[in-house]
Amino acid sequence: MPKLSICINTQTPLLQFRASENGSLVDPATAPAADLSNLREGVDYRFSPGGVTRMVYPLVRRLLKDKVLDEAHWVSLNPTAPPTIELGRLTLHNIHLAPDRMAGYGKVKEAIWGRIHDLNPGEPHGDLFWTEAFSEYAYYNRVTAELIQELDRRHDFDAFYVHDFQQMPVGHMLGSLKPKIFRWHIPFDASTIPEEWRAMLTTYLDAYDVIVVSARRYAESLGALHPKGRVLQRYPYLDPSEYSRPSSSQIAEVGERLGLARSDDIALVVARMDPMKGQDVAIRALARLAPDYPSLRLVLVGNGSFSGSKGGLGLSKSSTWRGQLEQLVQTERLGPRVVFAGHVNQTELDSLYERSRFTILPSVREGFGLVAVESWVHGRPVILTERAGVAELVRDGTHALLFDPDDPAALAAKMRALLDDPRGRLRGKLVRNGRSIARKCSIEVAVEGEKSLLTEIAEA
Amino acid sequence: MPPLLEAVWPYLPVAIIVVVTVVLAWLVGALVGGLLRRSSPPLARAARQLTVGAIAVIGATFALQYLGLNPAIIFVIIALLGATALIALRGVLGNYGAKYFSDIYVPFKIGDSIEVRGISGKVIESNPMTTVLLTDNDHLVSVPNESMLREIVVNTSPQAWKEVAVPVTIGSSLDLAAFESDLLKSLAKLRSRLDPRFPPVLTTKSRTAQSTDLVLTLMLRRPEDRDSITAEANKRVAEILEGARAPRRTTG
Repeated sequence: MPKLSICINTQTPLLQFRASENGSLVDPATAPAADLSNLREGVDYRFSPGGVTRMVYPLVRRLLKDKVLDEAHWVSLNPTAPPTIELGRLTLHNIHLAPDRMAGYGKVKEAIWGRIHDLNPGEPHGDLFWTEAFSEYAYYNRVTAELIQELDRRHDFDAFYVHDFQQMPVGHMLGSLKPKIFRWHIPFDASTIPEEWRAMLTTYLDAYDVIVVSARRYAESLGALHPKGRVLQRYPYLDPSEYSRPSSSQIAEVGERLGLARSDDIALVVARMDPMKGQDVAIRALARLAPDYPSLRLVLVGNGSFSGSKGGLGLSKSSTWRGQLEQLVQTERLGPRVVFAGHVNQTELDSLYERSRFTILPSVREGFGLVAVESWVHGRPVILTERAGVAELVRDGTHALLFDPDDPAALAAKMRALLDDPRGRLRGKLVRNGRSIARKCSIEVAVEGEKSLLTEIAEA
Repeated sequence: MPPLLEAVWPYLPVAIIVVVTVVLAWLVGALVGGLLRRSSPPLARAARQLTVGAIAVIGATFALQYLGLNPAIIFVIIALLGATALIALRGVLGNYGAKYFSDIYVPFKIGDSIEVRGISGKVIESNPMTTVLLTDNDHLVSVPNESMLREIVVNTSPQAWKEVAVPVTIGSSLDLAAFESDLLKSLAKLRSRLDPRFPPVLTTKSRTAQSTDLVLTLMLRRPEDRDSITAEANKRVAEILEGARAPRRTTG
């Protein structure tokens, strides 16, 4: 197998740098490349939470280690980072965008996101591609495509691997005959796409040789649009070896920090602060159970995504949503029964999984739902929204408990089933069977698929 | 006077004529290019080349006359050579010329399905001599470009009447992202004349160290707006290119 050189593109960067008072940790003009060994993880920078760190990075590392890749370059939006960061044979290239450009880009990205997730169906959307904000969205994507072109002239890539729906125009803008793969991570339901958007989306999607989606039903829906490239379905994945069992002192430490008592029954939600993630449904379900289960507490892990962070797009969505949730907690008189843990590091997250009784994934829409896989890896049962991509692998009551995210009472009933399981029979069954799904979503399976895809299209 | 300078001295006026001709050709070429900047790029390029060529011939005639040759004889020789070349290459030149005009005036592009001289197929290549069609039975048919002007060409692509393709060439020193962003903002003002389902799209066709060739695709709402929208789009492209003073982006 020939060693390949590829260029990856994601909107969210692998590493997020803490912005200094002047907005940037390192002055891009004077520091062309960062030496990570001089910087401290958790202080100067952190790995972005979510799929970029959980999925894409482990895959790239594995493909480099297995010598499928000779080198990889990774282009992302990263306004507060140095222009380039060397991580061995992986080079991160960071795009800086002026705040006014970023605002327009963020507006269009959020509008597309909302429509595809079928949020705010009454909101007008038909003229989105004619707005001034769209010209900024095009600007960012063109800057990305131009940087990738420039890198291609220097490194002669074998393929381009574009991730994230918001980077969709990049393939068209590259104007390159080389193979282009597009990974669509969010749900895809053609019926949610307005008629006025279809021509534009088709123009963009037709630029790719392969479009990869996370669930079978998304592949069927996308296939009905007849894109020029091949549509593939591949389950997202994670590397179980990255998850360790924390020590009892580490578990106690995070419990103490968050004010959790040893006797508390923890229901865990791991999701960024976003209305689409449905934390409100979990709070409403808790309100129904609270009188009967005095030791039950709901821990909400996560804060804003890169889009909501100060070093990212700076959108206020996550802080607004958290405010609404806090208000809901007050209205439901739940007070300390709901814990907002915010961002936690990996050890703390592992500890919270160990500490929890079960995990809830209450999303209104969810491209896949790797949190469910994480939970199974930690040996915790999952109560899962039936609208997550991973739900197509699950049989209710066998691998997980499924519920309609519009119905908090249904979630409360599923929580009750796990709370009233003194011998742990249901829990044991769900974990045992859930782990069989986790194996299908492991990096070992994914690497083979990615190897064959990359090799096939590069050789074609 | 040194012997070398003495030998070169009589030819100095010839050198001056050559230099003046080159400078004049460059200036007038730039002037013609500037005057036609809002028209179609191939037409502007052809007019500039013709102007530069004519000035070069006039300059050469003056220089040869200074060297003692009879201008009448020179003109006769040029005319004879020209006539011979025209007769010998009339087919080639006809096709070459037709390519310029069909690019501008015949409404099809690569990828469209057309019918010409009873042959129908998909346009897969358009070179200076021929337009190559791929027929339904996988035959490649070369249609001389002259035929595209002389014969009736029917574009059978769905919604072909809607599409206006405006070629755009920008220098590599220009910030393409800023240009595109400004162009999209400007063209959004023509929305009432364009099909709302098809916003303007800028596609990269080719790229060299000096420039990038792009195509701006617009979809009309009404067929009778074709000429006016094409002219308006060319005007807006030219205005943005003129006003472009944006520095290159700062990226990693």
